[in-house]
Amino acid sequence: MRVAFVGKGGVGKSMIAGTFARLLARRGEMVLAVDTDPMPGLNFMLGLPVVDVAIPDDAVVEGLPGQERFVLRPGLDAVGAVEAFAPIGADGVRYLQFGNLRGPVSTQFRSQAAFRQIVHDLPEDRWHVVGDLPGGTRQAMFGWGKFADTIAIVVEPTPKSISTARRLARMREATWAPKDLVVVANRVRCATDATDIAARLGLDVVGAIPDDVEVSKADRAGLAPLDGAPHSPFVAAVAGLVDQFVSQYATKEVAR
Amino acid sequence: MKVAVVGKGGSGKTTTSAIVARTMARMGHYVVALDCDTNPNLGVSLGIGDDETERLLAMRQGLEAGDEEHARGWDALLDRFGTDAPDGVRLAVVSRIENPEPG
Repeated sequence: MRVAFVGKGGVGKSMIAGTFARLLARRGEMVLAVDTDPMPGLNFMLGLPVVDVAIPDDAVVEGLPGQERFVLRPGLDAVGAVEAFAPIGADGVRYLQFGNLRGPVSTQFRSQAAFRQIVHDLPEDRWHVVGDLPGGTRQAMFGWGKFADTIAIVVEPTPKSISTARRLARMREATWAPKDLVVVANRVRCATDATDIAARLGLDVVGAIPDDVEVSKADRAGLAPLDGAPHSPFVAAVAGLVDQFVSQYATKEVAR
Repeated sequence: MKVAVVGKGGSGKTTTSAIVARTMARMGHYVVALDCDTNPNLGVSLGIGDDETERLLAMRQGLEAGDEEHARGWDALLDRFGTDAPDGVRLAVVSRIENPEPG
């Protein structure tokens, strides 16, 4: 599966994406977690300390006519590049970063071209990709989540989060519109929170994740939910989301 | 006084900005609130509601699409791209800065 989590800043995208990726990996699947935020945070959910995962310049060569400007060097494919450059986080999840703010954008063209090619080429039958986009609408609306066939908008039951989600839902009208656009309600406190979000957005809410004080405490201690609050309602809800996605993708495979 | 509020997503920048703006206005100051976010929500926190916040965003998008002309000067900007918010705060949703980093 290829999933990208989007939403307003601070709604819990990284926390959900990281937990989702790790729980998927615990089922024995190969998972690449990708972070396109220039201020990355997904790494913390994978138990990786502050890292700056640069794909080295020599992994990339100038493309031939008809190819992209930069391509992975001959002999290096997407799987090889993941094995070489994506650090292994908790539960065996591989972690790939689009690029920190290291300097002018122009100095990162090679690394970013490699990132795009890796995510595009990674064989779908063997690898799952779980993406975490920066908060807000800008990157998402520019199509940075194109690698995903399912885009999940994370929404809190607050007006600003809901209006951001409404703006993000316009991705359905883009030329690269995802196959599935779904909503995951986060920090819900009562049953009506998720139904209110669904009603106000006119979109399916596929998961309702509770507001969880254990997870907040773990976060303040610098721990991912799976490490600081493994038996929390939050983790149970994300596990339910993983089950649901796995069975939906299995159904689609059969349908193909 | 010119104050800019920055920080991580979800840490409370918009809410803080709105409360500071309205408090200053209640103290009798002329206050302009500028929403420079690519995902502008300051109108919601100031209390003008979803629809008016969306209208300001749509105007800025028209500007970016070339359907609207840039305002010449700050007063024209506040007039055309602004709206009156509670306590006398004037809110404007301003265009993005040139060549920002992705994000």
